Amino acid sequence: MAKDKKVRVAPSIVVPCSYISTESNKTGAWRFLRPRYEEKTSPCSAACPAGEDIGRIEMLATQGLFKEAWETILRENPFPGVCGRVCYHPCESVCNRGEFDEAIAIHTIERFLADTAARNDFKPVLERLPARKEKIAVIGSGPGGLAGAYFLTLLGYACDVFESTPEPGGVLRWGIPSYRLPLSALKNDLSQIESQGVLIHQGRRITSDTLENMYGIYDGILLCCGHSASRSLGIPGEDSEGVRKGLDFLRRVREGDNPVVEGLSVIIGGGNTAVDVARSVIRLGGKALIAYRRRRQDMPAFEDEVAMLLDEGVELRELVAPIKITEDDGEYILTLGSMRVAGEDTDGRTRIERDGDTTEEIRVQRVFTAIGEMAAEAWLEPPEQGSDIKILNNSVMVNRSDQPAVVFGGDLTAGVKSVVNAVASGKEAAIALDIVFRKGLDSLDEGLADCVVGEGPAHSMEIYMRGERFTRNSHIVTYEEINTDYFSFTQGITQPRLLKDERLSSFEEIDLKISASVAMRESERCFNCGLCNQCDNCYIYCPDMSVVHDNSINGHHIDFDYCKGCGICVVECPRNAMSLEEEE
Amino acid sequence: MKRVVEGSEAVAEAVRLARVKVISAYPITPQTHIVEFLSEYCANGTMDARFLRVESEHSAMAALIGTATTGVRSFTATSGQGLALMHELLHWTSGARLPIVMAEVNRALAPGWNIWVDQTDSLAQRDTGWIQLYCEDSQEVLDTIIQAYRLGELVNLPVMVVLDAFFLSHTYEPVDIPDQELVDGYLPPWEPKFQLDPEEPCAFGSLVTPAFYMEMRQGIARAMEDALAMFPQVEDEYERIFNRRYGEIERVFCDDAEIIMVTSGTAASTSRLVVENLRARGEKVGLLKVRLFRPFPVELVRGALASAKKVAVIDRNFSFGASGIFAQEVRAALCNTLKHPPVFGYVAGIGGRDLTADVIEDIYRRAKASDFPEAESVWVGLQEG
Repeated sequence: MAKDKKVRVAPSIVVPCSYISTESNKTGAWRFLRPRYEEKTSPCSAACPAGEDIGRIEMLATQGLFKEAWETILRENPFPGVCGRVCYHPCESVCNRGEFDEAIAIHTIERFLADTAARNDFKPVLERLPARKEKIAVIGSGPGGLAGAYFLTLLGYACDVFESTPEPGGVLRWGIPSYRLPLSALKNDLSQIESQGVLIHQGRRITSDTLENMYGIYDGILLCCGHSASRSLGIPGEDSEGVRKGLDFLRRVREGDNPVVEGLSVIIGGGNTAVDVARSVIRLGGKALIAYRRRRQDMPAFEDEVAMLLDEGVELRELVAPIKITEDDGEYILTLGSMRVAGEDTDGRTRIERDGDTTEEIRVQRVFTAIGEMAAEAWLEPPEQGSDIKILNNSVMVNRSDQPAVVFGGDLTAGVKSVVNAVASGKEAAIALDIVFRKGLDSLDEGLADCVVGEGPAHSMEIYMRGERFTRNSHIVTYEEINTDYFSFTQGITQPRLLKDERLSSFEEIDLKISASVAMRESERCFNCGLCNQCDNCYIYCPDMSVVHDNSINGHHIDFDYCKGCGICVVECPRNAMSLEEEE
Repeated sequence: MKRVVEGSEAVAEAVRLARVKVISAYPITPQTHIVEFLSEYCANGTMDARFLRVESEHSAMAALIGTATTGVRSFTATSGQGLALMHELLHWTSGARLPIVMAEVNRALAPGWNIWVDQTDSLAQRDTGWIQLYCEDSQEVLDTIIQAYRLGELVNLPVMVVLDAFFLSHTYEPVDIPDQELVDGYLPPWEPKFQLDPEEPCAFGSLVTPAFYMEMRQGIARAMEDALAMFPQVEDEYERIFNRRYGEIERVFCDDAEIIMVTSGTAASTSRLVVENLRARGEKVGLLKVRLFRPFPVELVRGALASAKKVAVIDRNFSFGASGIFAQEVRAALCNTLKHPPVFGYVAGIGGRDLTADVIEDIYRRAKASDFPEAESVWVGLQEG
């Protein structure tokens, strides 16, 4: 073609376009499956004895809504600062993210939120029911009693809490060493609880006699007196001056009276009290040895604590039981008998027996007993049977016509002896009393069953009070239900801690703070199982533009005029916050 | 500025200079280096463009159909199986009249798996309504991509710039990389003749009944004719600014040649050497390099070959049941002339087999020795036995 050939201008271009709206074609008529937004229960929340709405807490923390995240904890647990430090966090061991890379550091984030709330002096805004005429007395200001009083206050009851010691907190104040729970953290939680209107009467010891005097004044009584007495060993020499009760020792340490512990202290027992005593002894400059009847793996103490204890230089002797203690020239000879494993008890606990006649003697400066605790007085123990008692999951209710409703809660009734289980017990007691007052005893079982998280046993105040998140259903989201295509492997955080040498030189808190950015990064790893975090995948993927933004909780609704029921939204929801069901 | 660059980088540099706004591609050997360069340009800010990662070549083109409809300059690159997977949307692109540019690195199709050069992948797409240009060296690749946007946007057709696997994509050569200002002068921002307008929403690609479809398709045919007509203008302007010109075809010693060899891509480069050597030995041989394959420059090809006694087409591709594809095109171009030379078809260098000077000289000798083609295609350079 010659270069000078005249070039035509570009021709008019014909492309097919349609300006007619397709809205006249209501494709929703084709639908035989119907998607819907349906929030479900996250495994962490179901595993939390306090039923904290953890998926939502992490979601809010990710968004930097620290106050709202903290308030979400407070709806289920008035002790975020305490539990963020001393909880054994069963939530983390069931975290779905754990099957993907590493579980979310829920425990660490809880503490971060509590500390952030305290530093910024946040004032929580919590739902409360209108005031009621019934008055409740709570005996004991440990985690169980205070949780009970706190929830009863939110439910509209006036509560008086009676504490025998000069300060509130029970085991939190006098039992847990400050390297695990500094006083300031406890005080933050306590002042938040008091700010809700809970009245704590300190230095008011209640006896069985004074309790009866209360019958005319109060409509309900919650007994959460905990374990303030130690079990005895039942061996010769136990009453020597050098044999002391672990609980008393811990209390003295927390009172600021640093006892002299030079030389070797042997601690008998394998629970958290034994571990706390041994670690306190080390910090006071002594040597500590734990003598335990069973093996390390059988210890009721939290595994993490045991690991740190060994790291700090405490010696652990397994399969030895004390036989006698004899005084010898200002010191003591502790005779230990060897034990051996002899199978398993019906409840799964290792059964042990004496291993022949083998014994050994240890020369010690003192012995601490920590083999278990019990109620200080027999009347504080919950009754075990009777026609007028109702044994609940974490508490025991007594309804007699001649006295107000009495609920036994806290450590004496909780399935697991821990702070969060005591909180669960106090919550259950509060809900139980409320049901009885509002609807009568006959509604108790149904009422309690109606507010469990997932399949229980944890109860949720949010669900009980029909809060915003009441609509989540009880299905517990499994790992297989998470669309992991939307997540990438990310390393979790490691709780920063004082170095071993720093730990041993004082009672300084071992666990260190994390920054807000670290907390947000960590909480962002959360799958938010079963919870809409408005990721907008449904909106993005809907081929019919039938997901419509609105002002509802999850920010969307489905336009069923055009939704064909293809189910893409449900499949692409990363966290199983949607469901697909057959059209009726 | 002249730099020694890999052919893939020459492609990426051209895309950068063309101020492309969206790149969407799926990696496939031997195209991968191109998209690696481009994704890096997008990531480090060298280009003010978005790199859309997609799950397949089909999606890559689908994404670009969307972006080009909104009126932004769009680019992709692929190869072999990737191009085959894109096939449906190649028709769509031209039907939708979107001037998307693609770098297509010629790769053999499977099975058996073969990542080496073979033109069958791009030639199998000859009926999709894409303009196709075959390049001989990296400089030509760079220049052709810049020209492709100019040409495609003039006629509203997509353009495929084709380069040989490895021989171009992975080979380093000195390439003049022009200044951005000069390229801006040659290739102004695209002013689309139509585009998606949120103020007046409409659905593109809707149903077209028999009453209108034929005219729409004829519009594409006419745009192809326009592309052919406008091509010299596109090159004139390029030559004026950059002092380089390649032509729709290139005639080497054709004027007095008795036998003219026809080929394309890097084979043309080797053929130049062979023809020079044969000329030095007194052989009356010429070379016709075909650069513009769609639209096929029928008149130019006729003119170049009219005086030859024989034409020998070297095809690095094959249409099964027919013959080498360039040979078919050349035969078709010549058949309606009253007197035309016989066309010898040779198939060589398939699937990356070396197409050496010896093989090309052998082809010349075979054509010279035969009075008339004994077959539509003769496969050259096969293993013995």
